[in-house]
Amino acid sequence: MPLRAVRSLFVGLVLSISVLFAALGAAQQAGHGDVHPPIRHVFVLTLENKNYSSIFSQDSPAPYLSRTLVAQGAMLRQYYGTGHGSLDNYIAMISGQSNNPDTSDDCGTFEDFKQTGVADDGQVVGRGCVYPSSVKTVVDQLNTAGFTWKGYMGDMGNDPARESATCGHPVLGMPDLTNEQEGESARVPEGDMYATRHNPFAYFHSIIDSPLCQKDVVNLNRLPNDLKAIATTANFNFITPNVCDDGHDAPCVDGRPGGLASIDAFLRRWVLLILASPAYKKDGLLIINFDEGGSGAIERSKDGAVITVFGESCCNQRAGPNLGTYPRVKISGVGDQKRTRRTLKFGGERTGAVLLSPFIKPGTISDVPYNHYSLLKSIEDIFGLREHLGYAGQTGLVAFGSDIF
Amino acid sequence: MIQATVLRLRICLCLAIAYCCVCCGRSDHKGSGQGRQASPLSPVAALGRQLFFDPGLSASGKLACASCHDPRFAYGPSNSRAVQLGGPSLKSQGNRAVPSLRYTLDRTPRWMHVRAYSEIEQLTETDSVPTGGFTSDGRFNTLRDQATFPLFAANEMANRNAVELAAKLAHVPYSRAFVVLFGKAIFSNPSQAVAKATEALEQFELEDRSFHPFSSRFDAWMDGKAMLTHQEMRGKRLFDDPNRGNCASCHLDNRGTDGSHPIFTDFQFEGLGVPRNPEIPANANPAFFDMGLCGPLRTDTASENKAYCGLFKTPTLRNVTSRKVFFHNGRFHSLREALRFYVQRDTNPERWYAVTRQGKVRKFDDLPSIYRDNMDVIDSPLTLHPGQMPVWNHRNIDDVIAFLRTLKDDDVVH
Ligand code: HEC
Ligand code: HEC
Repeated sequence: MPLRAVRSLFVGLVLSISVLFAALGAAQQAGHGDVHPPIRHVFVLTLENKNYSSIFSQDSPAPYLSRTLVAQGAMLRQYYGTGHGSLDNYIAMISGQSNNPDTSDDCGTFEDFKQTGVADDGQVVGRGCVYPSSVKTVVDQLNTAGFTWKGYMGDMGNDPARESATCGHPVLGMPDLTNEQEGESARVPEGDMYATRHNPFAYFHSIIDSPLCQKDVVNLNRLPNDLKAIATTANFNFITPNVCDDGHDAPCVDGRPGGLASIDAFLRRWVLLILASPAYKKDGLLIINFDEGGSGAIERSKDGAVITVFGESCCNQRAGPNLGTYPRVKISGVGDQKRTRRTLKFGGERTGAVLLSPFIKPGTISDVPYNHYSLLKSIEDIFGLREHLGYAGQTGLVAFGSDIF
Repeated sequence: MIQATVLRLRICLCLAIAYCCVCCGRSDHKGSGQGRQASPLSPVAALGRQLFFDPGLSASGKLACASCHDPRFAYGPSNSRAVQLGGPSLKSQGNRAVPSLRYTLDRTPRWMHVRAYSEIEQLTETDSVPTGGFTSDGRFNTLRDQATFPLFAANEMANRNAVELAAKLAHVPYSRAFVVLFGKAIFSNPSQAVAKATEALEQFELEDRSFHPFSSRFDAWMDGKAMLTHQEMRGKRLFDDPNRGNCASCHLDNRGTDGSHPIFTDFQFEGLGVPRNPEIPANANPAFFDMGLCGPLRTDTASENKAYCGLFKTPTLRNVTSRKVFFHNGRFHSLREALRFYVQRDTNPERWYAVTRQGKVRKFDDLPSIYRDNMDVIDSPLTLHPGQMPVWNHRNIDDVIAFLRTLKDDDVVH
């Protein structure tokens, strides 16, 4: 037997032991006294910028999501985003770190987070984009506990000059060119609508400096193959569609309509694929959420437009140490192009979320308030990870419980 | 165990393939002189090359694609005319200066104006800028569509119709190539013959290495094989500084994440408000305006958006020092003047625009007054006001020109 095979056998053994322990942990640890069902394959699929009222209205342009899927699973009517700007939400979901002025602004430059201190609940003090390696994410927790994880990113690497096909992100310290969608060209026939700001893994040195990132943060086109067998399906999967499929754009750079219509088309294909996979059927949970809500009030005049963003939150969400005071006013442009954006609070609005699982009774409805920190706490509980990172550890925060499973 | 071995094998295979691709990418596009090695063209592209250099395809018999797009000048114009002479007797002129065809063609994305779905994001994010498409108003999405334009434009190669051009194609010395590639009947279907000719031109423009040699000193510097002088480095810093020159925010000059070299454009549309050029015959009519993205040359539904009036696509600056005409209307004939315009447009507008008898400057005088608000006054260095200091003095401009000189490919004149 070659040495490498021996070693992998040994690793396998250690892994299965730790999985066993982790599973025991899960049963003991589940949130607010609930015992979680034995879920071992979690899929988080995050879409963009839609409000509860527009997604789930009677005449929603996304009937597959708002009716078909809701009827098959659980509807979390009081699910909230945690910030405005996309990136701060994605970061919250995997690390529990709160918003800072740069992540709330989607980090136009891919810069290091400059840490000046530490506050309650493991919040790092400072501002910037890429968190130092001391800041842990659910990935570290999963690695330690012997679970596997993967990030699947739509379009990542379509244009290798823009970002690599594995662990794709801008060069540190450089402008993030993935904030602009790239249309089809002779060189990049499919175009490239990957946006780093929707890929949470890219913002942690603990992930991007590790060789695992090249292996585990990959293009979405790898998912169908990985779903074929339980052995090749990771325990934790984070799926980010490209900025057309996730509803961010309308119209999209490739001419598709975008918005909720493109979301529905994407879900029809990919949700079916996930639901049909052996891993999901055995012990899966699919969470479809939105990073933030997209509504607010707009008043136009010849002197430009005044935009009011409400920034509602739930669950006693805390602003964290890095944001300063609200309301906040940002003015850009001049003349009739002048834009005054008033953000009243730091939250990300109510979006709702849909959960599907063999352990969920079809048609379940929950009005328990949840946010991205509750999502993180729930994932940690499901996998029996002892620590709750960042604001996932906020006192009194509720994880998905018997209202859902 | 068997499964594991297969898996490992597959991983090795993937790695090998990935590695290979990296190699190809490198030799093709990172530009370390490989551009000059003649690479064999596909038969269709080889036909395209013949067509590109053939003046016999024009009504005058004197005008080839290469007459305006001269390979010695990075496929840009060899002379200083704002607009070239064309038509059956080489007496007509269009409205636009000839661009360089180097570096941009295989990378130009289809024309698109992406919008964010959320109305709030549309209003508050600056990322919804129209982008891409060929020519300075982005009106063609493919090179083959673009190629039909000069072949039939009355002020360029001036073929009257497909029948006339197909008849010419049937009698070129290399007409056998058409028959070999597209069948015996090709010339009996004139529109098919023309379509195949434009496809061949496209294939040549995409395949031939001479369109992206990456053989400049700047490329050698990027590869660590040459040094830039202090002056050139000063010029680069001025070019990059987001608070002053800010040039690199549109004329991108950073390496790609795969190490590929930059091509100095983001293909976005922008309203610089270049002054009106009296050298252009059409401008004798004070009611005529070339408004770029909103027409009159561009006529699709996109051109109906009046917020687009006066916007033109950002060109590459590679080989810009070999040019003798600058901007879409060829208004300037020296690079120094073009750069001075950037930094003094707002501090000294009277130097650049017509002044009325009452002494009022008609800023952005190449646009009807109702569209002048479309011009960019939010990106540095276009944010200043009369009386303020321009962001660059003449020495700074010398430095930037020295830097731009490093972008000249080694086969290009000057
Ligand atoms: C009479 C001069 C002239 C001739 C002949 C000519 N062109 Fe051009 N070409 C131009 C001008 C002027 C433009 C810019 C047009 C505009 O911006 O609207 C241009 C633009 C282009 C572009 C778009 C470049 C870009 O980056 O968007 C391509 C490609 C091109 N020409 C290819 C050709 C081909 C192929 C031929 C021969 C079939 C040809 N040209 C013949 C003058 C000419
Ligand atoms: C906001 C985007 C933007 C910025 C910033 C910008 N440019 Fe440009 N540049 C353009 C566009 C668009 C054009 C073409 C405009 C036209 O033809 O009307 C252009 C054209 C040019 C040209 C003429 C090239 C040719 O082939 O005719 C030069 C030279 C140039 N830019 C240099 C610079 C320098 C130097 C700076 C910094 C001071 C700069 N640009 C900053 C967008 C930009």
